[in-house]
Amino acid sequence: MSNIAIRNLVKRYGAIQVLHGIDIDMQPGQFTVLVGPSGCGKSTTLRMIAGLESVSSGEIIIGDRVVNDLRPKDRGIAMVFQNYALYPAKTVYQNMAFSLKLARVPADEIDKRVRDVADILELHELLERKPGALSGGQRQRVAMGRAIVRNPEVFLFDEPLSNLDAKLRGQMRAEIKLLHQRLKNTIVYVTHDQVEAMTLADQIVVMRGGVIEQQGTPDEIFHDPANEFVAGFMGSPPMNIADAVVDKGGIRMGESVLACQIPSGVAEGDSLRFGMRPDDIHLCDGSVVPGVRSRVIVDLVEQLGTEKLVHFKLDGVPVIGKADGRAVIQAGDSVEMAFDTEQAFFFNPDNGGRIR
Amino acid sequence: MILKLLRQATPYWFLLPGLFILGTLLSVPLYKVIEYSLYDNVIIEPDPTFVGLQNYADMLGDSGYWSALFNTAVFTIGSVVGHLLVGTILAMLVNADIHPKARTVFRSLLILPWIFTAVVVALNWQLLLNPFGVVNYALQSIGLVSEPLDWLGDPDLAMWSLLIISTWRGYPFIMVSFLSGLQSIPSELYEAADIDGANFFHKFWHVTVPQLKPVIYGVALLDLIWTFQLFPLVWLTTGGGPGRSTEVLSTLTYRLAFVDFEFSRASTAAVTILGISAIFTMLYLINESRNRT
Ligand SMILES: Nc1ncnc2c1ncn2[C@@H]1O[C@H](COP(=O)(O)OP(=O)(O)OP(=O)(O)O)[C@@H](O)[C@H]1O
Ligand SMILES: [Mg+2]
Repeated sequence: MSNIAIRNLVKRYGAIQVLHGIDIDMQPGQFTVLVGPSGCGKSTTLRMIAGLESVSSGEIIIGDRVVNDLRPKDRGIAMVFQNYALYPAKTVYQNMAFSLKLARVPADEIDKRVRDVADILELHELLERKPGALSGGQRQRVAMGRAIVRNPEVFLFDEPLSNLDAKLRGQMRAEIKLLHQRLKNTIVYVTHDQVEAMTLADQIVVMRGGVIEQQGTPDEIFHDPANEFVAGFMGSPPMNIADAVVDKGGIRMGESVLACQIPSGVAEGDSLRFGMRPDDIHLCDGSVVPGVRSRVIVDLVEQLGTEKLVHFKLDGVPVIGKADGRAVIQAGDSVEMAFDTEQAFFFNPDNGGRIR
Repeated sequence: MILKLLRQATPYWFLLPGLFILGTLLSVPLYKVIEYSLYDNVIIEPDPTFVGLQNYADMLGDSGYWSALFNTAVFTIGSVVGHLLVGTILAMLVNADIHPKARTVFRSLLILPWIFTAVVVALNWQLLLNPFGVVNYALQSIGLVSEPLDWLGDPDLAMWSLLIISTWRGYPFIMVSFLSGLQSIPSELYEAADIDGANFFHKFWHVTVPQLKPVIYGVALLDLIWTFQLFPLVWLTTGGGPGRSTEVLSTLTYRLAFVDFEFSRASTAAVTILGISAIFTMLYLINESRNRT
């Protein structure tokens, strides 16, 4: 178990700068997830921690050592790749034993460690197979086994579940979480799937365009986003965000006015960006729902099972709200939706920063 | 029904002339060579005598044949090993992560030996290895040899010189074949090996070689088949000499036929080349079909 500290990390490929000085602190045993849209530099950051990419400037500290110039094998890390990168000519056993063999661990200890890990991951029946004869989920498990065998200080994962189907992904996600609870290693995990980020992380780092937009616990990231980008990125379906103008006792979008608590620091007539999660916009179907009511015409209903997504327009702006999975509602209906404006977010229209 | 069959047959009618010409050009000489090897005094005498396997028996008792067979083995195996070594090393070098322009330049330059015809290659090397040639001059001026060596004329050196020339001439095929193999190896495998603590040789042995394996065997066999019957390079550099020190089966056959006009004996030697080549070819085909499944 090691802490990791990243200090003002910069990466340049020739003239192109892809990381613009990022700082991250990870506590020993902490599960940190890097999320962000494609091309934001997540993999680059992870690969720099692994030692697979050089550091243009800044520092990477693992434990108490600056590892900038250490080779990957000397950094006390193990990595699980997106495409698993199992050695195709080696059996599962040999794949897992390879690093130990190179480190000249005695054969009987190698055997013991490989079999222990095979037990944890339920791989013992596959030990003599080659990776080509395994399913995606099994390969994934072997890739994790290969990492675990080395008993590293730090695990690095680069989108390890993105090649699996939805069901298996959910299963492996739980397995990774259990594994972490058991082994308590420090983990850095890259994904663009925000459900993975929310469920796995102790700490989430949201990146965009080579900079960090926000880092914090899943609760903080979800319920207290630092800016419009983070608010819009986390959550599915995404937060409804629209231009609005501050009105007396509320905000105005086109002709509609929503009564709400206006943050201090903005004055009547100021324009801002107004955001509400679909979870805070409910169909009024007899039960008591909090919030300001507004009558709308339903455009589309999506049945998710436990709930229904209700698409409608509020003064021309498309909005998604929610209804109970059993609610009787269909496109074209005129219904009342309740906006729980206590939960609303306000953002600066110029820089996207949060207005509190 | 018949119309449909006729229509389906149409493409084959177009193939027929080609098949006929190819088939004749292949099978008639093949048949003739085997036939000649069973007669005495073919071509020269209008009425050759049938001698059965006598020519073969004579050949097996001829020390010249055995030395040619031995030289062929040395030349073939030496060349293929040379091609594999040089080809692999160069393939890895030109696959390295260097400036793309430089990479293109190196790749093109290194393929050149393959492009020249054997005559040009032979003449060039003759000039280079001449006692008064560049190689001797260079070796002398750096003090490696005190007096010029007759690379192609000295019985102790001739085979080595031939192997160097053949290696130079033949490595590009291996290099090109391996290069495409190398390019298809995912870089993640090397990265995983880096993390596992592998050094350069570990990575070569545990990642590169297994990934190239399907290519290596087939390419080596193909090279073996070609080199085994290689004629012009040997004939035009050493001509099988000095003495018989570099005489291989192909030059022996040629000498028997067109220098000594012993067409029956030449045919007999040619049939043995044919037989051995056929074995290698079978191995190659078996390997190919195994790779495909
Ligand atoms: N070798 C390279 N040369 C130039 N630019 C590169 C190189 N590798 C990556 N980049 C650029 O760096 C940026 C970050 O890439 P990175 O792979 O870290 O993105 P990512 O966040 O992992 O995205 P994804 O979710 O698609 O994997 C991208 O814009 C990419 O084009
Ligand atoms: Mg990536």
